[in-house]
Amino acid sequence: MIWEVFRQEKAGEYHTHCGNVHAPDREMAKQFAAVQHGRRKPTNSLWVVPQEEVGEIDGEDVAFGGTTDKSYRWATAYNTTGADAREVVESEDEQATAEKQRGDD
Amino acid sequence: MNIDTVKERAGPREFSPADELPREYREAATRMIEFHANSEIMGAYLERPFIRQAPSIDRKLAFSAKVQDEIGHGQLLYRAAESLGVKTREEMLDDLANGDGKFLNCFHYPMESWVETPMIAFFVDGAAMRRQATLRRTSWEPYAHAMDKVCFEEGFHVKHGEDILKELMSGSKKEQQMTQEAFEEWWPRIIQFFGPTDDKSTHHDFAASVGLKQQSNDDLRNAFLDQYIPKARKYGLEIPDEPRIRERDDGTYAVEEDDLNWDEFFTIAKNEFEPGLGQINGRKTAQEAVDWVRETIENDASAAGGHAPQAAD
Repeated sequence: MIWEVFRQEKAGEYHTHCGNVHAPDREMAKQFAAVQHGRRKPTNSLWVVPQEEVGEIDGEDVAFGGTTDKSYRWATAYNTTGADAREVVESEDEQATAEKQRGDD
Repeated sequence: MNIDTVKERAGPREFSPADELPREYREAATRMIEFHANSEIMGAYLERPFIRQAPSIDRKLAFSAKVQDEIGHGQLLYRAAESLGVKTREEMLDDLANGDGKFLNCFHYPMESWVETPMIAFFVDGAAMRRQATLRRTSWEPYAHAMDKVCFEEGFHVKHGEDILKELMSGSKKEQQMTQEAFEEWWPRIIQFFGPTDDKSTHHDFAASVGLKQQSNDDLRNAFLDQYIPKARKYGLEIPDEPRIRERDDGTYAVEEDDLNWDEFFTIAKNEFEPGLGQINGRKTAQEAVDWVRETIENDASAAGGHAPQAAD
């Protein structure tokens, strides 16, 4: 039985897919995942999910978006003057971080 | 859990649907979140006509994205509210349509001209963001969680609104003058966004004592003025003489509350303000006009095997 493994680097971050393990049950899957995926990179937590439980939908089933330029949706696209309110700066930073992470994946 | 325990434990994101909470808490939280959700929806309807009236394709795209976001925020908030088990999403939407649902004072006024858009998109959204940032620490966890997503998106709304203001205030003399007039009309309403002063606020004490509300009306209003008066001046807007605003020795501002029209504010709060009823009924008519779309989607979903997606998922 194949178990897909998701690794979380730090508390609060997303679990991202990092590979899979072969194991007869959940307990063994957790142990194998810890050995194979939790040793070399900094790890806060791992998820194991039976492969057949994963649902998939791809470009043949549905037309995905994300191909048009939507830079107008980001605070970073607007050049305004003067100091921004703290919460506006925070939001802009969160957006910039999300944008950067999108590039990494 | 009784109300004393709630008050003792009250802290950021302290309570979730797993907790057994007293009715008093759940009702106060419902009232607060339902008001917030309704405001997102009514704000979106107020701004919607300006997608069509936008002066350029860039503005049209950004404005339509923004309106779409606000409707989404409404859905997130209805979900956070319905998880309290006091009212269902349908009951809240029905109340909004029949005039029982309460929402923000600013969205009871009609908006007629493009020069008014930054009054909402910059100043009102800026005021809202100031408040929402504090609500990420509210005690009802689903509400705080919704605020994370809302604050993430809202930065774009405020910056885009500011960009429109900047464009108008560096435009023709006529544009600048019209923008100044719109500002004078909206300014007192924007200040009233934060509600009456603490001593006259109806629900503040309880909401604060159980951790739902994180900052008082007065603190929020002052923080807003400190940030946005310099911004308005920077773009060449003149702050109206009334309401009188006093600059404190430390450079912060305080507003003379008696200069504001509180009769109108409380008429609005009761949904008895004539132009506001126009907004409520306008939305109701629009809802009914697109009933067939919702019906089609719902029928289609049940035909596809009963996996009707939840609106906020």
